Amino acid sequence: MKEQELQKQAAANPVEMERTRNRKVYVPRVDIYETKESIVLLADMPGVDEGSVDITLEKNVLTITGTVEPVGFPGHNLVYAEYDTGDYQRAFTLPEEIDQNKIGATVKNGVLRVVLQKAEKSKAR
Amino acid sequence: MAMRRLLPSLWGAPAVPAGQESAHPFSALQQEMNRMFDDFFQGAAVSPFPAAGGRTGMFHPSVDVREGEKEIVVQAELPGLDEQDVELLLEESSLVLKGEKKLEKEDQGKGYHYVERACGSFHRVIPLPRGLDAKKAEARFKNGVLTVTLPKLEPAKAKEKRIAIQSE
Repeated sequence: MKEQELQKQAAANPVEMERTRNRKVYVPRVDIYETKESIVLLADMPGVDEGSVDITLEKNVLTITGTVEPVGFPGHNLVYAEYDTGDYQRAFTLPEEIDQNKIGATVKNGVLRVVLQKAEKSKAR
Repeated sequence: MAMRRLLPSLWGAPAVPAGQESAHPFSALQQEMNRMFDDFFQGAAVSPFPAAGGRTGMFHPSVDVREGEKEIVVQAELPGLDEQDVELLLEESSLVLKGEKKLEKEDQGKGYHYVERACGSFHRVIPLPRGLDAKKAEARFKNGVLTVTLPKLEPAKAKEKRIAIQSE
């Protein structure tokens, strides 16, 4: 099992800002596809629900952050470990054609789905 | 599979692979060393839980196993799946986790820019120690993380009967 086959990848340089939480940060794997009306972003973030996802848009940069509270198992020894709980963070630069007022997001079964509607005039082209 | 027989048994081994919470002062150093070894050997396919037919780019759920005094807890990261997509089988000495992660289907005019999320079928066999209570096993799915709790059987001690020795 090589590094790239693992489902979660540790962030090389988590964020360009200081974090207030001393936790591991992972880069979620994403799929991005485009339809006629929108661009859809899907991110695998196991352990995250609607309440723990934060999506911010600053200028052209869309940042998705997911926080996962570690589940405590007091008195349990970790016998075998392939993953570790940690937060998720990743940033994307949006193209001009996106209508920044129409961004919708849902979380289901640990997958975040962000729908970015294209602006009216770019659709006409 | 032959490789597996050469590996020491997971159960009862004192070493904690890539462990986390431990109160020992050297635990941080030990953790770091374990992590280094784990990372090094990951390329050599010596994982004690080999994936049947595991191939590059296929979905391969990550699994954590914890052992407590009363139970064993297996957790697997299965983003995008729900309880209907996963099959769990408890066998005599192993837990089989299998299913398929499907690619979302939406037809017309769909152009992919990024495809990083793996999909496909998976089949993992997790070896278990003896003495688990199969009837009380339970599994829960929450936010793409599957948690299987396997309680241990009451130790056989309860059955033994003390015999009084009389002196003559």
